[in-house]
Amino acid sequence: MERNVQKNGLVNLLAAAIVFIAVFFVAVYVNSLAGRVAAVFLGLTMLVALISWFQMRLGENERLEKLEVEELARAKGDSTLFEARDSEVFPARRSREQFERFLVPGFCVLLCLLEAGGAWLMWNVAGKTLNPILADRALPSLALLAVFALLLFILGRFSVTIARLENERLLRPSASFLLAGAYICFLAALAVAGFKAQFPLADFYVARVLCVLLGLIAAELLVTLLLEIYRPRLKGRISRPLYDSRLVGLLGQPEGLFTTAAQALDYQFGFKVSDTWLFKVLKEGLPALIVAQFAVLLLSTCVVFVDAGEQAILEFFGRPVAGGVLQPGAHLKLPWPFEKVYRFRTDQIQSFSIGFTPDSQSENEQVILWTVAHNKEENFLVANREIPTVKSEDTETNDLLKAPPVSLITVSIPVQYQITNVLDWAYRNSEPTNLLADLATREVVRYLASVDMNEIMSQTRLEAADILRERVQAAADQRSLGVKIIFVGLQDIHPPTKVAGDYEKVVAAEQTRQAAILNAQAQAIRTNSLAGAQAFATTNVAASTRQRLEVEAFARAALFTNQIPAFQAAPSVYRQRAYFHTFASATANARKYVLLVTNTQDVIIFNLEDKISEDMLNINVDNK
Amino acid sequence: MNRNVLTLIIGGVLVVIFALLLFVFQVRQSEVAVVTTFGRPVENLTAPGPYFKWPWPVQNVYKFDQRVQNFEDKFSQTFTADNNTLLVSVYVGWKINDASAFFRKIPGASVPAAQQLLEGILRNAKNQVIGKHPLAELVNANPADLKFEEIETNILTAVVGQLSTNNYGIEIEFLGIKKLGLPDSVVQTVFQRMTSERQVLISKLQYDGEAQATIIKSAADRQASETVNNAVADATRIRGQGEAEAALTLPTFERNPQLANFLLRVDALKESLNQRSTLIFDERTAPFDLFRSLPANPPSQ
Repeated sequence: MERNVQKNGLVNLLAAAIVFIAVFFVAVYVNSLAGRVAAVFLGLTMLVALISWFQMRLGENERLEKLEVEELARAKGDSTLFEARDSEVFPARRSREQFERFLVPGFCVLLCLLEAGGAWLMWNVAGKTLNPILADRALPSLALLAVFALLLFILGRFSVTIARLENERLLRPSASFLLAGAYICFLAALAVAGFKAQFPLADFYVARVLCVLLGLIAAELLVTLLLEIYRPRLKGRISRPLYDSRLVGLLGQPEGLFTTAAQALDYQFGFKVSDTWLFKVLKEGLPALIVAQFAVLLLSTCVVFVDAGEQAILEFFGRPVAGGVLQPGAHLKLPWPFEKVYRFRTDQIQSFSIGFTPDSQSENEQVILWTVAHNKEENFLVANREIPTVKSEDTETNDLLKAPPVSLITVSIPVQYQITNVLDWAYRNSEPTNLLADLATREVVRYLASVDMNEIMSQTRLEAADILRERVQAAADQRSLGVKIIFVGLQDIHPPTKVAGDYEKVVAAEQTRQAAILNAQAQAIRTNSLAGAQAFATTNVAASTRQRLEVEAFARAALFTNQIPAFQAAPSVYRQRAYFHTFASATANARKYVLLVTNTQDVIIFNLEDKISEDMLNINVDNK
Repeated sequence: MNRNVLTLIIGGVLVVIFALLLFVFQVRQSEVAVVTTFGRPVENLTAPGPYFKWPWPVQNVYKFDQRVQNFEDKFSQTFTADNNTLLVSVYVGWKINDASAFFRKIPGASVPAAQQLLEGILRNAKNQVIGKHPLAELVNANPADLKFEEIETNILTAVVGQLSTNNYGIEIEFLGIKKLGLPDSVVQTVFQRMTSERQVLISKLQYDGEAQATIIKSAADRQASETVNNAVADATRIRGQGEAEAALTLPTFERNPQLANFLLRVDALKESLNQRSTLIFDERTAPFDLFRSLPANPPSQ
């Protein structure tokens, strides 16, 4: 009985279209990511069913055309008809060939892009939106998805069987897609069921798996398109439709893995690879190989190698084995899932930071200044031993008075530690790293709240690091964290960036003070030196005067002794001579007026004022 | 035949694995589990190891982490007893001590839900306790006045009391103040005050320097003055000595006092005319008296 597969193709197309729309609305209704990805796949199924149905129609037209031509030939008994060109005699065949040559590859490129784009889009959507499934709509959606899965499964199985029995290659792609769509709908239903069974992330993970599957199908189609270029064309051999995905076929019919693989190899190499002895051996022994592989895999879990610097905890059904901390080296254990191993890097020095978040950009800077934030820094409250009391009426000062009696300080404290007791570390606290950071931060806050800002920045800075390390260690011991605090460093401790400039001004003021003192000292030295020199000069002048007085006195005495005989010899002449001699020499430079008039009634007026020289009159004097 | 045996073995193994997955579950050392039968909690498992259960939907197993969970509340603003505003954040270590109660009372029996409940209780206790203490008992340079631990203990007591009253199935292991801070507006006033403190220091240093410089210069001036004065005194004394030495020659002049006095006057005249002088003489002054003895000019014709 000859079956009209076109109808099957049309039914597949309509079913795919209806289920695609329905699944899309159900996915939106219940807010399921997996449902949305399933809708994307069903949309692609619809396209494949459409192209498949169209190609079947062309094939059917070709078949009818061929029958018609044969009938005409028999009726006329003339072969001239076949001497005409094929394109004129067989337009339907030509249409089909043109369709397969141009439209099918073009459609496959479009399909590949849609599959890849859908996978990428849904991956991103699934990565960004983690809105949970709507609980009150989960059950009806679950039921609907299950019904769609069942419908697609029945239709898909039927079509697959028809395609195999009728050897209808064009029906196979839509049948495979429908069957795979049934399983994908079932997975989407499982994701919703997982949500109901307290696994809220099931939907997310199923969506991710389906995205990967879509990506793989796209990759397979791309590879098929590339290989199609180099595939050997054998005359008379019927080619497989390009959009007939082997991966989708395998998903729909996993039992046909070998058949699919064999077909793929035969198709690509152009001869029966599946008839070779190697392929047959593989096919026969594969179950045993898989079992052996599984056994080897299980046996491999019986040996554990703990790396240098690590320790591991061995658990038997969740209970730590007595003395079950494994040191570096090889160890035997029961296979998974009876015994499991959890590793910890105990020798590795681990660290975290308090008061700052390391910033890679600023870490490259070579100069670290208080006034430039070199990391994302936090401000800590710190005590102030002395706070100046300012009393004023102005607003700004009133604001100052409202400021609490504390200061702010920026500290950067790296803390380094090592795990010393791996059991305590693993079993006492769920997040031991965070707890240790909290304990250390608490100790820093507690310490800074009890010390004076200026002291911690200067003289107590060194001891502060030791005190903090001891306190953090004590807190960790109290909480049985199983760690050794190796280092707590006050890497940076300074006023906040906003006021750091004022602290620098104090340093500048200290320098100015020193400079003023040094200048005064220099001036004092100069004053004292000059005074010493002046004193020396005065004393010397006095000594010189003394010497001059003495010498001159004796000289005068000697002169006088010699003058006496001359005076005694001619007293009046001597006196006149001495007088005139002295008069002449003494008045040589004096301005002299000699009055020779005899009229004594005349009044003679002399202006004896000193005349100011003319150049002195031209001097400008500022009236400042 | 062999193929059938192999198939049977594989099938058997798969059935066993499937059965194990359905009927067996394991509780880890760090976990505690609640088993429910048709939704009703029937067993509380705290010891690690493998356990049997009926498959879903008859029995369900809910596992919880029984280790100490670390939780930090929000950095929230509160008032101190002396009307200062403060931002405080505390951290707590809590653990599930009654898994059954935890399962029944915490929405969804989830850790985030438990922490959300805990946060409300914690913030309430924190604000209550800090409101009773002045800021100086949280931040103080004098350790004797600090009541940091006492405040932590009071918050812990308040939280534990609230939890034990309603049995949330959790207990608090420890509590600590993690962060202290100030609101932004207050931070600005603190910055202003810190700036003013620095300004005080700057002024102190600046005027201290000027004062010290003045002292140094004044001392130097005084010292210089002393030096010069001493030198002047020494010079006077030296000159006196010279005068004394010179006076030793005076008896020589006593041999002819008339000549000596005459010479002294002549010297005095010479000394007095040493500077620029204007002299007015008449014809009687020698040697200008020579002008009188000259013949007069003949009368003009």
